[in-house]
Amino acid sequence: MSSAEVASRAVQTGTPAWAVAPFVAYLLSIAALPLFLGHFWEKNRNKLIFALALSAPVIAFLLGRGATTGGAQLLRTGIDYVGFMALLGALFTITGNVCLSGSLPGTPAVNTALLAAGAVLGSVVGTTGASALLIRPLLRANEQRFKTTHLVVFFIFIVANGGGLLTPLGDPPLFLGFLRGVPFTWTLRLLPMWALENGVLLALFAVVDSVVVARERRTGPPRGSTPRPAPLPERFRLQGRLNLLWLLGVVAVVFVMGTYGARLFPDEHARAVAQIAGMSTFAALSWFFTSPDVRAKNRFTWAPMIEVAVVFLGVFVTMVPALSFLEERGASLGVTQPWQFFWASGALSSVLDNAPTYLTFASLATGVADAGAGVLSTADLGTLAAHPVGQHLLQAVSCGSVMMGAVTYIGNGPNFMVKAIADQHHARTPSFFGYIVWSGAILLPLFWVISRIFFH
Amino acid sequence: MFEARLDLSDSVLVRARMFKEILVCLEGSPSSDAALRTAMSIAALLPARLVGLAVVDEPDIRAGAAMGIGGAAFKHERDEALVADAHARAAEWLNAFERRCRDAKIAAYALEIVGRPADAILEETDKHDLTVLGRDANFRFETASDDSKTREAILHKATRPVLVVPETVHDIGTRVVIAFDGSRAARRALASFAGSGLATGREVYVATVDDNGARAWELAAEGVDLLKQQRIPATPHNIVSALSNTDALFTFAESSGAGLLVMGAFAHSRLQHLFHGSVTRGIVERTTIPLYLQH
Repeated sequence: MSSAEVASRAVQTGTPAWAVAPFVAYLLSIAALPLFLGHFWEKNRNKLIFALALSAPVIAFLLGRGATTGGAQLLRTGIDYVGFMALLGALFTITGNVCLSGSLPGTPAVNTALLAAGAVLGSVVGTTGASALLIRPLLRANEQRFKTTHLVVFFIFIVANGGGLLTPLGDPPLFLGFLRGVPFTWTLRLLPMWALENGVLLALFAVVDSVVVARERRTGPPRGSTPRPAPLPERFRLQGRLNLLWLLGVVAVVFVMGTYGARLFPDEHARAVAQIAGMSTFAALSWFFTSPDVRAKNRFTWAPMIEVAVVFLGVFVTMVPALSFLEERGASLGVTQPWQFFWASGALSSVLDNAPTYLTFASLATGVADAGAGVLSTADLGTLAAHPVGQHLLQAVSCGSVMMGAVTYIGNGPNFMVKAIADQHHARTPSFFGYIVWSGAILLPLFWVISRIFFH
Repeated sequence: MFEARLDLSDSVLVRARMFKEILVCLEGSPSSDAALRTAMSIAALLPARLVGLAVVDEPDIRAGAAMGIGGAAFKHERDEALVADAHARAAEWLNAFERRCRDAKIAAYALEIVGRPADAILEETDKHDLTVLGRDANFRFETASDDSKTREAILHKATRPVLVVPETVHDIGTRVVIAFDGSRAARRALASFAGSGLATGREVYVATVDDNGARAWELAAEGVDLLKQQRIPATPHNIVSALSNTDALFTFAESSGAGLLVMGAFAHSRLQHLFHGSVTRGIVERTTIPLYLQH
């Protein structure tokens, strides 16, 4: 049975609203538990128990619908999950095996150039990889400066979020779309939005950084601050260069499987397995051909990947009925215009993780564009990407999910990673609400402009 | 041990004693260094024993934080790194403190406490005769760029006198101005200062700022009389000025060459501060000489 048939069968049987509750509860818990039960949430075992507890009723519900409907949906989401983790794991391994060492001068021009590089790199190695690669060189370059909060904030805006808009490798939401059938090159249609967002942010950053540097030179260090020793000069160099080859390998696997996969592997399960195997191979090559010293310099550990694997396990299972529900009822929920999709997907991506939010609104868009015709399916978002109305909705969802993941520290995985690394370097970072003030003042007006130009 | 019971009014009774043990709060900034210099000069003169306190703010470092998926591992790594760094810095400051005290032949011991800075310092403040802290000290150095909240909490809640020292100060000089407005806090400040031993060998001025010169003189003279009970000679000064109370006091302290300003801290309730602002806060922010504050 094909994915479209599975989805169609699910639509026919109807999804009760209560089946969406575990998904909603899970997403809210992911956002709230680290804050209120920090020590509990620190342990992956607790996260796994929590994920399984909320997944259990969903699994029971799906299996209750029969092996050919619910069971097939579970199998499909399982394959998506493994493919998703294989890509994240491959990019995590490869970027963790590359290290930019040495010192750069922390001038506005160099800082802007680093952020611009991150805006491009984000779409090649993913926003997490680009952030992990560039944040330490940026912090080292500005170690002697006292006002560095804006550096971290703009870094999160540009490198950890906006830069990942151009390819499915850039940000987990887009890769989820790719796994569900959105063509590899489709995201290049988002180039104008990417250019506008990152261009404006880079220009604004250059101005802000220049003003801060000029003010620091004029007024000297703030009262009560301790002078910081100058870092020892060290040649700026890239270690683990061979990994660029393995990275190209991953890009090639994703591109080839997305573009020619159906011809090479007519069976979709075999196609998924080939893709996972390809990515895992390049991750393994990266691991074995890189000196452990490079990983040590990057303080590489598997802990973040294990956490992502555990948490996303719950996301993938609990979202199955939610996506079916939205596909079935999408047209009746009142969200029909691209600008509404942009703001709605963005608003939820700001406070929940943006990957499941993307799929939720892509499913809603499927329901709206299909309008009961039974042509489009959440199991194959490629049909939505090719649909005359649906493609605009999907563009809006893609932009909203990726761009507005930057609005809070919760919105996108690398946001907090950047903050944590900056804290370790004693670069001052805003509090949770302080960060929202920054993003509210800078990003929201920019999103309004993007919405007016592209989605009205 | 010198100990005196001062009957300052019908309602204010203060048991003042000569300072024997002085707590100095360390956090590695130039402000904290000024606090240590000043504390050492006082301890050498009295003489008194110095207790160097460094606080490792582990609760705030490890506090829960909102984060995206995958953030917990980075949070854990960050927390461990910051806690280790805080312990290392505390050890470094305390070692330097002990070394300096040993070189200056001042009796001293070092103390490291893990906890919220305001709570930890307040607990120790209760056990010592005087607490010395840098005006711009940042006890939450791992998680915040400034920390006026800890200072305010200490000044609001400390039951013993606190000496707040700005960055450029080395000692408390030879002239002292006691700002006396007749309030309970001002009487307590005067009494504890009188018993501390810090007045010995110093010129003491009791100054009262008021629009009514006669009333100001009367209050200042009352303050002088109270000091006389402790055999401390002092001169009264009434200040009538178009400037604000804070500016008038600073101008007088500067013109008299004072190296120490003694006053009651936060004489009004927090609600009153909300509506009228706080003279204490303004003085603490702007002072260029050490402030001896008693709540």
